[in-house]
Order: sequence, then structure tokens, then C-alpha cells
Amino acid sequence: MLAGRAGLRLNTHYLSKFLAARFLGYLLFAAVAWELGALVSLPPAPRMLLFGVIHVALAGVLLWYAYTAGHICAQLCSGSELVSIGVTRKRGMSGAAVLGFLTGLSLCPPFVAAGVRAAELGSVAAALLFFAVFFIGTSVWFVPFVGLGCVTRNEGVITVARMAMVLIALYYAYLGFAMLLGRKVYGY
Amino acid sequence: MATKAQILKANKAAPRTIGRSLLLTSPIALWSLLMFANPQRQSNRSLQIASVITSVFMIALFFKMMRTGSTYRWRRWFFVGLGILFPVGFIHNVMVMRGTMGIPIEEMIAGRTPFCYLPIPLLILPAAFTKTLVFPGSILPGGGMSGAGMAAMAGLWLAITLVIGKGWCSYACFFGGIEEGMAAVPTRAKLRKIDPRWRYGPWAVLLAMVLLSLALFEPAYCMWLCPFKAVSEYVAARNTVGMVQNGIFVVLFAGLVIALPLLTKKRTQCAFFCPFGAFQSIFNKTSVFDVKIDRTRCSPCVLCKTACPTMSLTDESIARGETLMSCMKCGACVDACPKDAAVWHIKGTEVGIKPERARLMFLYGAWAMAIVFGGSIIAEGLATILHIFV
Repeated sequence: MLAGRAGLRLNTHYLSKFLAARFLGYLLFAAVAWELGALVSLPPAPRMLLFGVIHVALAGVLLWYAYTAGHICAQLCSGSELVSIGVTRKRGMSGAAVLGFLTGLSLCPPFVAAGVRAAELGSVAAALLFFAVFFIGTSVWFVPFVGLGCVTRNEGVITVARMAMVLIALYYAYLGFAMLLGRKVYGY
Repeated sequence: MATKAQILKANKAAPRTIGRSLLLTSPIALWSLLMFANPQRQSNRSLQIASVITSVFMIALFFKMMRTGSTYRWRRWFFVGLGILFPVGFIHNVMVMRGTMGIPIEEMIAGRTPFCYLPIPLLILPAAFTKTLVFPGSILPGGGMSGAGMAAMAGLWLAITLVIGKGWCSYACFFGGIEEGMAAVPTRAKLRKIDPRWRYGPWAVLLAMVLLSLALFEPAYCMWLCPFKAVSEYVAARNTVGMVQNGIFVVLFAGLVIALPLLTKKRTQCAFFCPFGAFQSIFNKTSVFDVKIDRTRCSPCVLCKTACPTMSLTDESIARGETLMSCMKCGACVDACPKDAAVWHIKGTEVGIKPERARLMFLYGAWAMAIVFGGSIIAEGLATILHIFV
């Protein structure tokens, strides 16, 4: 959102897509967690592999945005065919939706804890409801982000956002590849 | 045709008399003597000698500033000395206390790690959301290996920052001196064309590190990107993670603190990378001191722009008569200006009216703090070296 040049209305649209896809990711996780008796109970190797792929994909998406946002800055007039967050391409999902879906599946300690809780619930409906409420609780923090478009009139803000995207993407890539290689990713 | 040096000499004001310079130095001399006449130092002979040398050094530099009217070239001696002697004292302390520069996880969990000011911005969001400090140091005075806990360090930082703003990065930071020394080595920059967009680097690192610190619940910059871990307290690598982290520290240090300053004659780590510097820029808005370009005197020859070690002057900012908010108040532009158009300024006053008074007021504050903060670090480092001989 920082790297784009969208106004309040368009950012609300992007955020809606992002959150909808994230919600989908949450529900999917809840269903899988319940159905399989909790995803966390998967053998460590396939679990690491799955989340490794998700992290690498997330890093790839972030790098792609950082790159395309640069093109848009450089070629404002001819930039319509290039991708920015939220613009639906001819053959694929919008970027905001992809990011939302991937963050909806990313593994963090509270998310794992919620997954374990969902796995313990009596029915799939209860697990889905639990994750729906979990989603609402964690989505409140995204709301102020719709206002970010207002500060992107400044070229510096866009550059900062692109650079930060690259750094965060590198971190996700490190996590992803470390998981794929079966290495420890946290701690000493 | 007159050379740059001749132009400078012709246009600069005549030096002050020795008597007047001594008079202006006397408050700082008194302050310095009071600071270094600590009875606790009397028991340690090498520290005693180091304190005397440091005190004389700081007084002499201030005297030269008063006598010549030049700020940058004398401040640089202090700053480079601070940058070199900080690792000397720090590594010595760590080796004595722990026997290794590598910090094991047990030490971190126990909070036996000195608190540095760099993670201050990284602590804010996790603390706001969870009321927890993610840095594993002690919050109590005396906590941490250096004897300075988080509260003491944060308090000192806030006091200095409110007065001199981003001047912290030129008068108090114990990391910037090494690269400033490196930048001073070559006579000419080999790499002159630098994309100005790199100036946004510190803000990007700040944004990324603040978000990652919140997400990972750890001081992400200290864990992953601090170049100065290479010369202070690296990670005790017991697995791949530690190896990767240490590798990043060494590469960043070699690139940003050694190689690039040598090639560009700029403080590349400070200008293009340091997230604390970006955070500190915000406080340039609260500080009453800044550097302005007096448009009535400016040619513009852009010598100030070339001299600025952090690229805080652009053609546009010169036209507006101001520096960018990343200005570290080092005084390089003021010294470089042949027309005395780059001037020290107190906010709310007219630009170019008694700029020397603004310079004096700024320098008294900045140098007094430099003596307290940097001076004690220089003395510690010097004492470590003297300890070999005394």
C-alpha cells in the first residue's frame, strides 16, 4: 500500500481483497487442522516443507511487488500493464489476494496455538467459527492501513516501502530456504 | 585562477585571538576537568592517566574550534578516536567478564548484555502492544555488562537528543567514527555518482526492522543486521543460524563501514543504512539547532553538497536554503562554504544573523555531552591500551 499510489477508496478495496483472501486462508487452515487432527501433528518433515514453500512464495511475491512498483514509478504513463498490488491480471488473482492468502497460511506461534485449539474442537463448524473470530480479532490492526495511500504522494515513501519490501522478502526467503533444507531457523 | 583553498582563506573570517579563544574554551575546560576528576578513577592508574589525556584532548579540540572557527575537522578527531577506542574498551571488558566476544543465548536470557541505543526504535511497538521489552538487557541501572542499564542509556539518549537532535550521530554515537575515519583516508572519492535514492535506505531498514521486531518479538536489527556486531559482541554461533547471522554482520561491516567509505568519502553506513539514524532524524524537528543556507550569500558552488558526508544537501534543498532532515550537524558544509553561506542557526531566528552565536550555543551543548558520553568511552579505551604499559 505504501509503494502504490492509491487513494483511500482504492486502498479500502485492496484491503478488502487482502482480508478476504486471508480469511479464506484461515478457514482453510481451520478445516485442515480439524480434519487432520491438527496440522501441527503432521510429521515434522512435511510440515517444514509445506511452510518452507509458503515462505519462499511469500518472499517471491514481495520481491515481485518491489520490482514492479519500481517500474510503475519509472514509467507512470505506460505502467498500466504492469502489476501493482490489487490490480487483477488477465490470467491470475490480484496481488492483494495472493498476499492475503499466503499470510493467512503463514505459521506464527499464536496461529499454531489457535490451530491446536481448532483441532481439539468437537466439530468442523466450531473450528471454522473459532478461526473466524480469531480472524476478526487480528484484522482490526489492518484497518488504519487504508490511510497509507494518503502519504504515498511522496516519492521517498514509495522508495522506502520498496526497499523495506526487499528486506522483508529476503528474511522470508531465508526462513523458507532454511525450512526446505531442514535447518533450524530460530534461536542460536 | 584561485584554488579552493585560496578562496576559502580569502573569504573566511580571521581566527580569534588566543586570549578570546581561551576565554570561550574555559567553560568546557571546567566541565571536562569536573567530569574526569572522578575519585573512583584514582585507584586505577592507567584510567587516571587516560582521563587526563582525554580531558586535555577534548579541551584542546574545543579550543581549536574556537580559534579557527572550523568545526568539522576538529570534531572529526574526537569522533574517529571514539569510533576506534570504543571497540578496544568494549572488547576488553567482554573478554575479561566472559572470555569471549561471542554472546551465548544463556547470557542473553539472563539479561547480561549491555544495552546499546540502536534498538531503541525497535522496542517501541512491541512495548506498546504487549508492555514487554524485547531486548534481553536489564532495565535497572547497573544492569548489563557495561554497567549501564537500559534506563540509564535511554535517559541519556533522550536528554542529548532533545537538545541536539540528530547531532547525536556526530557527537555521541560510538559507531560512526570508524567509517568517518575511513572516509577521511582517500584524498578523492573514487565512486562519485551515488543514486540519491539510497538516502532512503535507513528509513527502509527502520520500517522493515520495526515490523520484524513486532512479528518476531526480538530486536531484529541486533539479531540480523547490525554491522557493529563484527567489532563488539557477535553471536556465539552454535548452529547454522548463528553462522548466517555472523556472516551478515561481517559482510555489512566490511562493505558499509570499511569499503564504501573508502570509495565514496561518505559515511555510508550512517547515510544509507542505520535505522537509528532515520529514527533520530525525526528529532531534528524537535531540536532548536539546525544548519541553514543563507540564500543572500550563496553562489551556489555546491561545495557544501560535495562535502556533506551523508548527502543531506541537494540542489533543491540548497535552493530552499536548508538541509534535509537527515543532517547530522557535523559542520562539514559550514566549513566547506567559501562564502560563509552555510550557517549554524537557531530555529525562530533570522538566517545569517549572528550565526557564530548559534554555533557557539550548539557547540557548548554538543561538546559538553560529547565529553560526558564519548569522553568516558575514549578514556576507557585508552586506559585499556595504557594498561599494557603502566
